[in-house]
Amino acid sequence: MIFFVVRRSFFAIVLLLIVSAFTFWIFSALPADPAALTCGKNCRPEVIESNRERLGYDKPLVEQYGAYMKGIFTGRTYGEEGSSIHCPAPSLGYSYDRHECVTSLIASTLPVTASIALGAFVLWMAIGVGLGTMAALKRGKWQDRVATGFSVIGVSLPTFFLGLIFIMVFVIWTGILPFPRYVGITENPFEWFMALLLPWFVLAIISAATYVRMTRNGILEVMNEEFVRLGIAKGLPRRRLIVTYVLRAALVPIVTIAGLDFAFLLGGALVTESIFNLPGLGKLTLAAVVNSDLPILVATTMVAAVFIVVANTVVDILYGFLDPRVRAK
Amino acid sequence: MRSTALAVVALVGLVAGACGGSGDGVQSGEESGGLSATYDGVGEGGTLYVLTNSEGASTLDPQRVYTGAELGAWGSTFTRTLTSYKPVAGKDGTSLVADMATDLGTASDDLKTWSFTLRDGVTWEDGSEVTCADVAYGVSRTFGSEVTAFDGPQYAVSYLDIPEGDYDTGSAYPGPWLATEEEQALFDEAVSCDGKTITFKLAVPVADFAYTVSLLAFAPVPEAQDTADQYALKPFSNGPFKIESYEEGKELVLVRNENWNKDSDEVRSPKVDKIVWQFGLDETVIDERMLADAGDDKNAIVYGGILPENLQTVFGDDTLKDRRTDGFDGFVTYTMINVKTVSCLEVRQALWLAIDREALRTAAGGPFTGEFASSFVAPLLTTDYEPAKLVEGLNPDGTPNLEAAIAKMEEAKEKCPEVYAKATEDGLRFDHPDTDTWKKYMAIWIDSLGAAGIKIVDNPIEGSKYYATINGDQGDLMRAGWAADWANASTVIPELFGQGGGFNYHNNEEDAAFADFQAKVDEAKLETDRGAQAKLWKELNQYVIDQVWSIPGSATKAQNLVGSNVRGAYNWLPFGWYNLGDLGLAG
Amino acid sequence: MTLLSVQDLRVTFGTADGDVHAVQGVSFDVEAGETVAIVGESGSGKSVTANSLLRLNFGADVRTSGRVLLEGRDVLAMTEDEVRTVRGRDVAMIFQDPLTALNPFYTVGRQIAEAYEVHHPGTSKKVLREIALDSLQKVGIPEPSKRVDQYPHEFSGGMRQRIVIAIALVNRPKILIADEPTTALDVTVQAQILELIAAMQQENGSAVVLITHDLGVVAEITERVMVMYAGRVVEAATVLDAFATPTHPYTRGLLKSVKSLETARHERLESIPGIPPSLINLPTGCPFHPRCSHAASLGGRCSTEVPVLRKVGASSSACHLPDERLRDLLGGAHDR
Repeated sequence: MIFFVVRRSFFAIVLLLIVSAFTFWIFSALPADPAALTCGKNCRPEVIESNRERLGYDKPLVEQYGAYMKGIFTGRTYGEEGSSIHCPAPSLGYSYDRHECVTSLIASTLPVTASIALGAFVLWMAIGVGLGTMAALKRGKWQDRVATGFSVIGVSLPTFFLGLIFIMVFVIWTGILPFPRYVGITENPFEWFMALLLPWFVLAIISAATYVRMTRNGILEVMNEEFVRLGIAKGLPRRRLIVTYVLRAALVPIVTIAGLDFAFLLGGALVTESIFNLPGLGKLTLAAVVNSDLPILVATTMVAAVFIVVANTVVDILYGFLDPRVRAK
Repeated sequence: MRSTALAVVALVGLVAGACGGSGDGVQSGEESGGLSATYDGVGEGGTLYVLTNSEGASTLDPQRVYTGAELGAWGSTFTRTLTSYKPVAGKDGTSLVADMATDLGTASDDLKTWSFTLRDGVTWEDGSEVTCADVAYGVSRTFGSEVTAFDGPQYAVSYLDIPEGDYDTGSAYPGPWLATEEEQALFDEAVSCDGKTITFKLAVPVADFAYTVSLLAFAPVPEAQDTADQYALKPFSNGPFKIESYEEGKELVLVRNENWNKDSDEVRSPKVDKIVWQFGLDETVIDERMLADAGDDKNAIVYGGILPENLQTVFGDDTLKDRRTDGFDGFVTYTMINVKTVSCLEVRQALWLAIDREALRTAAGGPFTGEFASSFVAPLLTTDYEPAKLVEGLNPDGTPNLEAAIAKMEEAKEKCPEVYAKATEDGLRFDHPDTDTWKKYMAIWIDSLGAAGIKIVDNPIEGSKYYATINGDQGDLMRAGWAADWANASTVIPELFGQGGGFNYHNNEEDAAFADFQAKVDEAKLETDRGAQAKLWKELNQYVIDQVWSIPGSATKAQNLVGSNVRGAYNWLPFGWYNLGDLGLAG
Repeated sequence: MTLLSVQDLRVTFGTADGDVHAVQGVSFDVEAGETVAIVGESGSGKSVTANSLLRLNFGADVRTSGRVLLEGRDVLAMTEDEVRTVRGRDVAMIFQDPLTALNPFYTVGRQIAEAYEVHHPGTSKKVLREIALDSLQKVGIPEPSKRVDQYPHEFSGGMRQRIVIAIALVNRPKILIADEPTTALDVTVQAQILELIAAMQQENGSAVVLITHDLGVVAEITERVMVMYAGRVVEAATVLDAFATPTHPYTRGLLKSVKSLETARHERLESIPGIPPSLINLPTGCPFHPRCSHAASLGGRCSTEVPVLRKVGASSSACHLPDERLRDLLGGAHDR
């Protein structure tokens, strides 16, 4: 098992290196010229060239990448002396557009996204698995119809639309909730909770829809398994059978998918963050796209990739723990 | 002396505007904001909110800011300058008043030396006095392009009497961060202090330098507080508000500066305790919140305007009369003509007569987006603005006059067969930023000019490179937009059409009519009598219109809605937005 | 009192295509310690009958009628809680496929212990482990103390079936229902498992209801046999009688196909012509008549009248043929 974890981790690191190099390359290949973008008002070709030099975009890509990777371990100093800026390790670059080290931008936005993702994840798993289980156990009854109906609606609703409806109903029309304004959990846990309530529900409803279907189908499938029949034949009480036999088996594939979905969300809940004005990774990325803020884009892409790769690894390892058959291999 | 970023901002506005319908039914017309524009029932204190879709300020650094609304907003709250605009609605708002300085400055007879004396009691947020050295240091920052990145106006570089050199700005002085002692001496020679008096030595005579120093680029910065690039996040305040916190994507919180000395400031009269900018809000949500006008949103204004699809609602509902504004934002869009390649007045006139301006405006979003311009000077510049007499036969409703256009082309065939052949056979190359909206505009250009027998060759250019590209390689026709840098057409006519004008892509120097024009421009620039100067600008504008070096498009407009408690929300003409620092809340 | 008495059991599954009449009036008794086989092709209703004994037929629309009296108490009329106390305690079941019958997520020890613990709540962990170890040893799993903590996938098919048997027997049930217990196993393992079932039966004194399509299996361990066809019992007899003197043309067909397999590989496999009937659209009259070579000799009777089970010698048969003809045709045919 330890060997497995080490090998998976090594593979993950190699993958991240590839992703980072690819990210670097793809953004440099975009038609938008980062140097031109820093040159709004007094634009002349010479100005663009001077900006290009100042930002280091004139260097060969390999050299830029090397400097970037080195900065992660040693920190990096930007600009000329007298007006230089130092970004301590792990430096992910400096955003001239936002006048901040990218690492500190990530550090300030990540907790927001993590807060959104964590709460939404808990809710959507509760709603998704709960409704899915109910639908499966009450198959064909009204509960099933309600749950599958919810699933269909949830899947087809765009986040943007649902978010807007929630804001209209709960904030603007009825005033039950204040307009979300993100506050750190350490600063004021209650305000933090209130700001995240709506986004959690929006994300949960939309994501839960898939999980309702997955759980329902998974349970129904497992219920036809011979070992469940043996469980019944043993005389296991229904509740115990459902929990220890049916759900236990049905949730294994769901947990693995959920792990990846969660990691994906950690990379930034773009639309939700925009609608509810939560300053998370998604909004940081979006703004960076609009401004072609390359250092931020590279960093957020890398961070998202790290989450996905790490989640993949964790899910793989977790799968081993969850399913003894996988463990053996 | 360029203001392309302002033009870029306007372009963005047009792109957004084009999403909606044509705004038919409700006609756009000037609306002042009714009760909200007055100070009736205003109280002291409270928190004012600014809702915006922007992720943050473009910058808070005085030497780098160049967006109209922000110049006004930062200037009225935390950045005082030597001179400022009068904080009133209407035409008077474009008149200059002394701010940190005791008066509007003293010029030498040749207009090449300007002196300003600082008032007593002007202080920084830490209570220390604003010194002449602080002003000089602030001005020097514009030269440090490795930090300020050409973001702000470059008047300091182009006006000050400092030798030319190899640095990116073209100057021999590299800014305060990198300058050697000798290099610093060059700057100190041009900008010198004598007690409280600061003296600017200029390389060229400038009649309206008092306007120039109202730009935040001429604002003071204490050297000890300068954090170079990061000064854009937390500039030191010498105004009635100071920055409590600023986080892009989240909010900017301005609180009252206890060390602002009210007696030293005759311009600002702050009312609220706190101003909170909330960044990154969804535009749809902003509009809904403003329409609902509930809770704290009663105390809110919007930076960014109303979505086109909501204009109908806002301007169709008379209960919103006291909260809505509709006015010019200071921009004029126009189509530059390369006078060198289209060296035939009749062809240029035919272009103007044939283009379907109404269709273009409909594609942009209808009458709310602006009025057909009849001057390159925006209507906001009330002193210098006067509608010009346009080409004969032009339909006032914006529809093409095909008959007149064809007649002009017939004339051109006789008078200038080469240009005629180019226009009808090779086609005229039209440069424009590559956006979805511009695809629609181009279809209209090609169709309506095609009807007059003129061929258009579409040349889209990637947006961020547009102005840089046409700087090197001009097409026959080019899209542009412009707003004045200060309330004087000296930042419009010479810039757009004069010799060496920073935004002159017309190649009109070789035109036979150019010499007369330039002579009059030089005269106007040195005219110190404002009334006489305005008259000259009006004549020069008419001159350009007559020569059709450029085709005026729209004087663009912006619509806005404020919360019902907001007072003093008048359109401050020099900036095309509210006087943020003076806004109050009903008490 | 009869240990198990099944009376006029009828099971119908409602499906989108129509009602599936899986079991249509089956009655039989099982005495304590006795071994009874239910034989038939797939679709004959034998497994549905077996499942009915523990109410294990699931589906959206299952209609069951008749009575399943376990020591006089009707299983079909019990509440869910009551049935649960019967399942695994009074009546235990062995399923066909040991590869899928065990829960892959739990150790075999836990699964055995669980079967005991359900009916003996409060049993200490230590005791449960002892019971699991003991059960494993009894069913012949070597090194039980090591194997008890292993997962099902770590065992071979035969071993798994032993574990399934261990689970079934842990509560010393009065009746053990074995639904095709050897079908999924290698031929070599089959015999071992049958021996094990027989041995365990000896030890526990349980009655065994063996469901199979394999007459060879029947011959090995059972005393009485019931042959089912299309949801009905067509013949009930002792194994001896059934093999020696089958009293139903279908039984004879079954026997012939087995015999021909066993005796001479050169002989042509003589199976029953035709296919088993659809349980949705059953033939009228005797369900076997479309495949029966004797039906024509009785005029139209076979296609109009359902034959009832009646005594024919020591056996019972559901055939319209007169007794003598049955004996001649079937018994005699066997001798030839």
